[in-house]
Amino acid sequence: MSDSRIVFENVSKFYGEVLGVNRVSLSIPPGITSLVGPNGSGKTTLMNLMTGLLRPTRGSVSVCGVPTSDPENLFKLMGYCTQFDSYPKGFTGYDFVHSFLRLAGYEAREAERLAWAAIERVGMQDAAKRKVAGYSKGMRQRIKLAQAVSHDPRVLILDEPLNGLDPLVRAETIALFRDFATEGRHLLISSHVLHEVDIISDQVILMSSGYVVAEGQIKAVREEIEDHPMQILIRCDRPQRLASRLFEHDHVVEVKVHADGQGLLVKTRSADQFYLMMNRIATGDFRIDTVAPVDDDVNSVYGYLIGAEEATR
Amino acid sequence: MNAQWMRQLGAVVSLEWKKSFFNRRSLWIYLLAALPMVIFVGHALETKFTRERLARQRTPQVTMERARTLREGMTPEQVEAILGQAPSRQTRGSRRNRIQSWNYSDGERQINVRFRNGELERWSSNESCNVSEDLHIFAGVYQFFFLRLMVFFGCVFVFLNLFRGEMLDKSLHYYFLAPIRREVVVAGKFIAGLIATTVIFGTSVALQLGALYWHFDGPKLEQYLSQGGGWQHSLAYVAITGLACLGYGSVFLTGGMLLKNPLIPAAVILVWESINGVLPAMLRKLSVIYYLKSLCPVEIPIDKGVPPFLAMLVMNVEPVAPWIAVLGLVVLSGVMVTLAARRSRTLEIQYGAE
Ligand SMILES: Nc1ncnc2c1ncn2[C@@H]1O[C@H](COP(=O)(O)OP(=O)(O)O)[C@@H](O)[C@H]1O
Ligand SMILES: [Mg+2]
Repeated sequence: MSDSRIVFENVSKFYGEVLGVNRVSLSIPPGITSLVGPNGSGKTTLMNLMTGLLRPTRGSVSVCGVPTSDPENLFKLMGYCTQFDSYPKGFTGYDFVHSFLRLAGYEAREAERLAWAAIERVGMQDAAKRKVAGYSKGMRQRIKLAQAVSHDPRVLILDEPLNGLDPLVRAETIALFRDFATEGRHLLISSHVLHEVDIISDQVILMSSGYVVAEGQIKAVREEIEDHPMQILIRCDRPQRLASRLFEHDHVVEVKVHADGQGLLVKTRSADQFYLMMNRIATGDFRIDTVAPVDDDVNSVYGYLIGAEEATR
Repeated sequence: MNAQWMRQLGAVVSLEWKKSFFNRRSLWIYLLAALPMVIFVGHALETKFTRERLARQRTPQVTMERARTLREGMTPEQVEAILGQAPSRQTRGSRRNRIQSWNYSDGERQINVRFRNGELERWSSNESCNVSEDLHIFAGVYQFFFLRLMVFFGCVFVFLNLFRGEMLDKSLHYYFLAPIRREVVVAGKFIAGLIATTVIFGTSVALQLGALYWHFDGPKLEQYLSQGGGWQHSLAYVAITGLACLGYGSVFLTGGMLLKNPLIPAAVILVWESINGVLPAMLRKLSVIYYLKSLCPVEIPIDKGVPPFLAMLVMNVEPVAPWIAVLGLVVLSGVMVTLAARRSRTLEIQYGAE
C-alpha cells in the first residue's frame, strides 16, 4: 500500500535561515491532489523536495517507495513540469522533447514516437518544428508539459500549470489532466487559486507560510468555498454590457463595475462554469484583456479554512 | 557500466558538444587558440622575406667554401679578391677605432665580415632559418604562453561553464529531472568539454607547427622530421595539449561545482601553477604543469640571459619519466572527476539564489 504513495516523513527545508517548509508529514494516495497556498507558502519547495531538486534539511521523502536521491529510478515513474520558464538554448519544441527522451535512454526511433505522441497530446504538432524561443507563454507552457509527460510517468507533478493560460487553453489543459489521472496514477497540481483546482481534485493540501495547514478530501473544503465565492477581476471594454450578460448565469453571485470603468469585479461560486462561460463570451463581441482571480479573496478563504483548522486542534 | 548508461552518456555528449563548440561565448577560446599561430605565421613570413632578400643580393662569387679561406688580419683588398665587392657595407666608430662591416649573400646565408682598422677581425655566417633555434623558440612559446595561459584559460572557460552556464540559463534542472544518474551527466559533460578543447587547442598546435615548418627548407625539414625526431615531437605536442585539457579541465569542472565563486580558484590555481618550480617536492606533484613540463619533448636552454622570473616558469626541476607523468595526470583528473560526480549527487537547483 505504501508503495503507491508519496511519503514525506517530518520534512523540513531551510534556505540558510529562510524557512521553505517545516515539519511536513504527508502520505499522498494516487489520484488528483492539489497543493494550494498563497505565493511564498512553500508549494514549489515541497515539489522540488519531492523530485530531488532540493534535499531536505531534515526528514526524508520517497515516491512510490523510491527515495528521491535516486533520480535514475525516480524519474522512470515520475514527470515534473516546473515553474521555471526557461528552456535549453536553440531548441525547437520537438528537439526539446526528443533529446530528453534520448537522455532517458530511449532508442532514437522510440524517442521519436514518444515525442510526437506527447506533442500531439498537448496539441502542438504545428509548432513543434519551430524554435521554443519564438513561442508564446501558453505554447511554452504546453511544450513543457509535453516534455514532462512524454515518457508516460505514473506520477506527474505540475507546478502552477494553469498560470498564464488563456481561458480556452485552460479548459483544454484541465481536460488533459483529467484524462491523465486514470487508474492508479498520481497527479499533483499546485495553484495559488483554490477555486481553480477544487473541481478536478480528489484531495487538497493547503499550505501557509511553510506549513501544511489542512489536508484531506475535497468535500470539506468545497463547502467552505460555496460560502466564499471566488472573486475575479476582468479587464475589458464595455464593462456595463458584459455585466448584464454575466448576470444571466446562476453561479454569478455579484458583479461590480470597477471604479476606473475599465473592468469588472465578479463573484462566482463555480470557477469551472465561470471559465466555460468566459470562453463563449470571449469568442463573441467583447474585447477582453485579462481575467485574473483576486488574491485578497483567496486569502480570506484561507483565513477561514486555516482558522477553522486551527480551532479544531 | 551497463549498456543503458553508455547510451545515456552518448545522449549527454551529443547534447553538450555543440554547446562547447558553437556557443557565442566560445569565440574567446578561438581567439586564445589563434593567438600563438599569429606569432609563428609572422615568424615564417619574416623568414621568407629575409630569404628573398638574400636571394636578390646573392653574388655568384660568394660560397661558403671560399668564405672559409678568410683569415684574421686580411685586408679589405684581399677579401675582395676572394669574395668580390660586398653589396652592402657599413662603417662606424672613431678614426682610431674604425669598424667596417661587409655583408655578402650566397643566396641562403648572410656572410658578415668585420674589419677593425683595416684588418679582418672576424667573419660569421647566419642562416636565414635556424632549425634548432626555432625549435627552442617554439618550445618556449608552447610552455610559457600556450599551456600556461591559452589552454589554461580556455579550460577555465569551457569547464567552469559546464554546470554554471546552465545554472545561469536556468536549464540545468532538465538534466536532473531525467531518469539518469547525475554521475553520468557529469561524465558526459566532461567528455564533451574535453572533445571541444582538445580539438580546438590540438588543431591550434598542429597549425602552429605547420607554420613553423612551412619556412624550413625542404631538405632541412625532411632531416628534422625523419632523423631529428620531428614527427615524434609534433605528435608529442598535440598529445600534451590533449593531456593539458584533461588535467585543467578536470580541475575546473570540480572547482566550478564545489565553489560558489569559481574565478577565485582559477586565479589561485594560476598562481599555484606558476610557482610550481619553487615548491617542495611533495607539493610540486600536486599540479598539472609539473607533469606537462616533464613530457615536453624539447627542453628550453636556460642561460644567464633569461630573467629569473621566466626561468622559474620554464625550468623543470626533477622531471619525471613520461609514463609517470601520464599516469600522474590521469590519476589527478580521475580524482577530480570523482569529486565532481560525488558533489553532483547533492547539488540543488536554486536558480534564484545564484
Ligand atoms: N532559493 C531560495 N533561497 C531563499 N529562500 C527561498 C528560495 N526559494 C524559496 N525561498 C523561500 O521559501 C519560501 C517558500 O517559497 P516557495 O516554495 O517558492 O513558495 P510558493 O511556490 O508557494 O510560492 C518563501 O518564503 C521563499 O521566499
Ligand atoms: Mg511557486
